[in-house]
Amino acid sequence: MSAVSTRTARSALAALAAGVLFLTGCSSGGGGDEQSETEAKKQGKDISYSFADAAASKGPAPEVEGAREGGTIKMLQRDTFSHLDPAQIYVSDEISLSTLIHRRLTNYKRNKDGSYSVVGDLATDSGKKSDGGKTWTYKLKDGIRFEDGSEITSKDIRHTIERTFAPFITEGPTFLQEWMTGKGGTEARKSLPDGPYKGDHLPDSMLETPDDKTIVFHFKQPQAEVPYALAMSGYGVVSAKKDTKEKYDKKPLCSGPYKIASFKSGKSMKLVRNTEWDPKTDAQRHQYPDAFDVQFGVSFEDSTKRLISDSGENRTATSFTNSVDASSMQKVRSNPEVEKRSVSGYQSYVGYMAINTDRITDKRVRQAIAYALPADSLVGAFGGTGAAEMAGNYISPTLVGHKPTDPFGKIKNPQGDVKKAKKLLKASGKSGMKLTFAYQNAPEWQQFSVAATQNLKKAGFDVQKKDIIADTYYDQIGKIKNGFDIYHHSWGADWPSASTVVPNLFDGRQVQDGAANYAHLKNEKFQQEMDRIRKITDPDKAAAEWMKLADRILKAEVPAVPLQYYKTIQLHGSKIGGAYFDESLHDLMPTSLYVKK
Amino acid sequence: MTSTSPAAVPGAGSPGPEKSDPSFAPPVKDPQKELVGRSPGRLMWVRFKRDRTGVVSACIVLAFFLIAALAPVISWLYGKDPYTRYGEIRPGLLNENKYPIKPNGGIDGEFWFGLEPGLGRDVFTQLVYGIRTSLSLAVAITLLSVLTAIVIGVAGGYFGGRTDYLLGRLTDLMMSFPNQLFFIAFTPVVMALFVNPQDEMPTWMRACVLVYVMWLLGWMTLARLLRGQTLSLREREFVEAAKVAGTPPARIIRKELLPNLVTPILVQATYMLPNNVTAIAGLSFLGVGMLEPTPDWGRMFAKGAEVYQSDLTYMFFPGGAMVIFILAFNLLGDSVRDAFDPKTGR
Repeated sequence: MSAVSTRTARSALAALAAGVLFLTGCSSGGGGDEQSETEAKKQGKDISYSFADAAASKGPAPEVEGAREGGTIKMLQRDTFSHLDPAQIYVSDEISLSTLIHRRLTNYKRNKDGSYSVVGDLATDSGKKSDGGKTWTYKLKDGIRFEDGSEITSKDIRHTIERTFAPFITEGPTFLQEWMTGKGGTEARKSLPDGPYKGDHLPDSMLETPDDKTIVFHFKQPQAEVPYALAMSGYGVVSAKKDTKEKYDKKPLCSGPYKIASFKSGKSMKLVRNTEWDPKTDAQRHQYPDAFDVQFGVSFEDSTKRLISDSGENRTATSFTNSVDASSMQKVRSNPEVEKRSVSGYQSYVGYMAINTDRITDKRVRQAIAYALPADSLVGAFGGTGAAEMAGNYISPTLVGHKPTDPFGKIKNPQGDVKKAKKLLKASGKSGMKLTFAYQNAPEWQQFSVAATQNLKKAGFDVQKKDIIADTYYDQIGKIKNGFDIYHHSWGADWPSASTVVPNLFDGRQVQDGAANYAHLKNEKFQQEMDRIRKITDPDKAAAEWMKLADRILKAEVPAVPLQYYKTIQLHGSKIGGAYFDESLHDLMPTSLYVKK
Repeated sequence: MTSTSPAAVPGAGSPGPEKSDPSFAPPVKDPQKELVGRSPGRLMWVRFKRDRTGVVSACIVLAFFLIAALAPVISWLYGKDPYTRYGEIRPGLLNENKYPIKPNGGIDGEFWFGLEPGLGRDVFTQLVYGIRTSLSLAVAITLLSVLTAIVIGVAGGYFGGRTDYLLGRLTDLMMSFPNQLFFIAFTPVVMALFVNPQDEMPTWMRACVLVYVMWLLGWMTLARLLRGQTLSLREREFVEAAKVAGTPPARIIRKELLPNLVTPILVQATYMLPNNVTAIAGLSFLGVGMLEPTPDWGRMFAKGAEVYQSDLTYMFFPGGAMVIFILAFNLLGDSVRDAFDPKTGR
């Protein structure tokens, strides 16, 4: 061997050795074994909402301790806002934004003791019901104005409701429309096919506006949860005079404490103070910073890194909905300085593993699946206990009436009970049966599929994994004849009541392509029970009944396996004050933020 | 890696017995006596043995192949397997974020290379089995590619004319396919053709598809090289002589051409194999190679890239192993070439 080659080999070895030293020197232990109950968990238990009266709905909102006015807050967002028209808002990014710019008849408010209530926002209170809940009356506050200074009147509210019937409104909620007309979905739209634009209006038997300050809703059936429905961002007020129809989606007239100064879709948005907003009329919102500077196109990983670094302008930065990504979870949670600057809590979503009851008709097989799945592995795949919590039943802890029941021992046996599953499958005589398991081709679900398949195989199933492209996943599993046996999905309530969960997931009359009853459960008895509970006018009583029914369905039919309650951790810079996780928004509350000195 | 002195060049090229190469002189005690009647292969072996880098690299490469071949034995002796989720099933190994509690990726006496964050599988057996997967695929692909290259390259070079033209264009055509993209596009097609839509693609089929695509798109460089060599060999006197003597083409190719092509074939094959290993790893990294739960070397990189912020150690073992393997194999390739063909010393 010549001198040249010796040198090459040596330097290569040296480089290798240096690499070894560098790599081993950098990895510290994960640390931490036992974990204390998170704040979110404590908050989440026994959540309750009250419908507030006029006194509690009065502004101004109590001052945030230590808050001061001035400064600009940078908001790092991944996706641009595709809708600004309140009637088109139904996704969390835009819902979070709308807390700053749009007002509705009612609003959620966190009280000092941590409880929540539904207060009047534009209305003086959360609503007065009469006629057994078929009629709800709202009165508007004084001094409520749009950003152009024009008074918000009952005409605007009527217009807001009526335009949701127009064909160009496609995304927003449809609850009020269905309740008023007594018809479902597309049928309801036929009551006012063009919206209010051709001079037609809803008859007084549905919506009445006797004077400039009064709005009366008439429903076909008694409704107990109207204040919740009206608090949805989708029912944010739209000006009757300045409505530009489709164009309103890009340039709405704001009513909240901030208005849109500029919006470059995909790039940036600037929100500035709305001087026409009067704090005395608002029980929940504040107007501390001078402006919000929204930057789009920042991935979860990027925003997490920037906020961890807490340097320069990142000190006054946070986000509407960007959360800590799974791979940074460990870093955030093992660093007390960073964890101090985080807020966390439950999202409204619950992850389920739907079992196709058309294909798997034997209940014992479904029970075997329920016992075998390792919920803990899914939580791990999403980044650990900071990103999710194992679910024992169908009802999210964010819903009124939630009880920590655990009929299949999903929490007691985080890795599933394979032995019991095996026994059940054997008893059904179907050991070795083929089980097609469809999952979204995303890292989390891939990781979970490894653990789930292993457990199911041990229990005696011949598992066939099918990974499906994330974009078309819900389309494929949403088909009635999807050809799969088990598939995961998640569902979140529209407001803190299980009335928008249990019927959607398990009402057999709603089995159709694209519907949320992914298990295709059809059970007459449970459907009657759903109809009965819907008529209960006391929300708390109804909530308890929904919980009971959900557990009964789980135990009796096992149409889906509850897997996890989604959680989220969001970060903010060290110069941001007033940040808290709002349990009704399921995100960091933007309206109480301020910039520290 | 032998650099020969200019004085040695004239003698080194001749296939027969060599004399008086000063660079070989010291280790061989009495060259004059032993040099009588040594075949080129034996000469190559003597030269190779003298190349220390080559021998060390060869040992390392051999060790990798042994590890791959003996993976089940290693796993049995070590008492772990690459599938069990130790960290999830046994409490106290992973923390609430599913990262190893112990420092350095959870390395301890029980888990020599630590635990995989998330699923908590044993990194050591994962790596050993991953090497096994990657190497078996790479060896299969290399063998098939070399065989194809020999057939097509030699045929083109020897027959010339229209055959050469057609084979040459085929080679060009195949070279124009980007193989990673091709694989990504090809797999779903195979799946739709051969797999029931409700079933998973079997692991063996996936491996076959992988081998098939990489083979299909991997033989061209060597084929071109061999064609060129064959073209020049074909005009040499000994081939002419064989032709005049009425030797059938098959025999000419086997007895006259192939022995003279062994050097480029062997050298290219030793370069091709590590290239295939990295290409397979690349596909796995992109998520289109072998899928879970089959342990795979390349997928370990993907996992490592995912968790590097909080668990850098995880990346070290597959990464280190890959660097050592590729380096050793490339050095071995150099040494093999030098041993066969000392005149091209650098």
